[in-house]
Amino acid sequence: MEERLALTMTVDDRLVSAMVRPRLLLSDFLRDNARATGVHVGCGQGICGACTVVIDGQPVRACLMLAVQADGCRVQTVASLPELEGGLPVSADGLTPLQNAFREHHALQCGFCTPGLLVSTAIFLARTKAPSRAAILTHLNGHLCRCTGYANIVAAIESLAG
Amino acid sequence: MTPSAFRYARPGSVNEAATLLGEHAGDARILAGGQSLIPLLVQRTVRPCLVIDINRIPDLDRIEIFPHHIRMGALVRQEQARLSSVIRAEVCGLSEALEWVASAVIRERGTVVGNLVSNAPGSELPAVAIALGARFAVRDRTGDQLVAAADLLGSTGRIAADALVTHVLWPRSPGRGGFYEVARREGHAPVVGAMVALGQDGCRVGLCGVAATGIACPAVARAIFIRFPGAPYLSEIDQLLDRDLADPLFGNAFVSAEYRREVAPVVIRRAAAAAARVGQS
Repeated sequence: MEERLALTMTVDDRLVSAMVRPRLLLSDFLRDNARATGVHVGCGQGICGACTVVIDGQPVRACLMLAVQADGCRVQTVASLPELEGGLPVSADGLTPLQNAFREHHALQCGFCTPGLLVSTAIFLARTKAPSRAAILTHLNGHLCRCTGYANIVAAIESLAG
Repeated sequence: MTPSAFRYARPGSVNEAATLLGEHAGDARILAGGQSLIPLLVQRTVRPCLVIDINRIPDLDRIEIFPHHIRMGALVRQEQARLSSVIRAEVCGLSEALEWVASAVIRERGTVVGNLVSNAPGSELPAVAIALGARFAVRDRTGDQLVAAADLLGSTGRIAADALVTHVLWPRSPGRGGFYEVARREGHAPVVGAMVALGQDGCRVGLCGVAATGIACPAVARAIFIRFPGAPYLSEIDQLLDRDLADPLFGNAFVSAEYRREVAPVVIRRAAAAAARVGQS
């Protein structure tokens, strides 16, 4: 019988406890056990960036971490975007400034890569004051988007970089 | 994707981790940042019985200053090292190389020591460690030892299955550092990369992607040092590189050995130019 370990973490301010197999990836735990389906699993090996979440303040690829490693941690997915953007005011239709910028610049099409992009960009903008276009491009090389060709994503981020 | 089944241990000390590794030598894997190990687990390239998670061992996340070296614990993250003012001032070439390693989110989690001991073909940091003369603090059942990077990561190097690398020691060498690489896509493993570290009393050059492991290039380094603030001609670097390349050339299905050898002098020259620009605005 495969060993199971007890695990407790907060996911978007909800306390989640479970008994899990050690080989369960954090990305699968978040989707299947914690029902945090904003975590998208693209490549499952750390290339595409769609599953990026924030653990205790640090951006992390959820597919490159075991669920048991996050025991006792605070996990924030795209559902915590308002807090990740530092509690900036949301618009009348409930969108954060970053979400609004993505909408205005058509920075998504199928939307699969978007949650990971929003999460890591929120952290990027919080840490980088007035980033250059080159810095934005370097930031984006950790994310794969198959629809947009990136130009509109760059425009959306630049609109907030002032 | 799901790894094959393993047991999971989370030791609270280096002693405990080393004992576990010794008891399961060959069948256990150390998990630090996981950015190299977890892809290998999900692809089932490695199928250990036991994964030893060292992330909660205290004090391994420190960068400490000693009279002759900077000591970095096995949990120092790549991004932490890249942003460290101590590393930038005291270990020239390393911060510059770290800027080229993977992407920021991967570097937040991936460790310097983990990247080094994974020693992936073409990887940047092993070449930097070999060229700068870094040493590893290794714990096994016989006790603690210091091992030169070249002896662990070079062409004849090997890391014993029961050996736990606890720290890497970088010689203090202030100066100007430069790095350049050619990659198929930014943030991916380099095809060929070079580090040039120009200190007060000499120069060191590390080269990755040309031989099967990273190598130091002392003959090229001497020429760069002599010619500074100018730079050697490409033809000169090309000739001297033959002297430094004792190991067979490396190539694979994506990029031939011939291309790698041909582009190497250009990459080295650009790294040298980057080093020469340090401090100039």
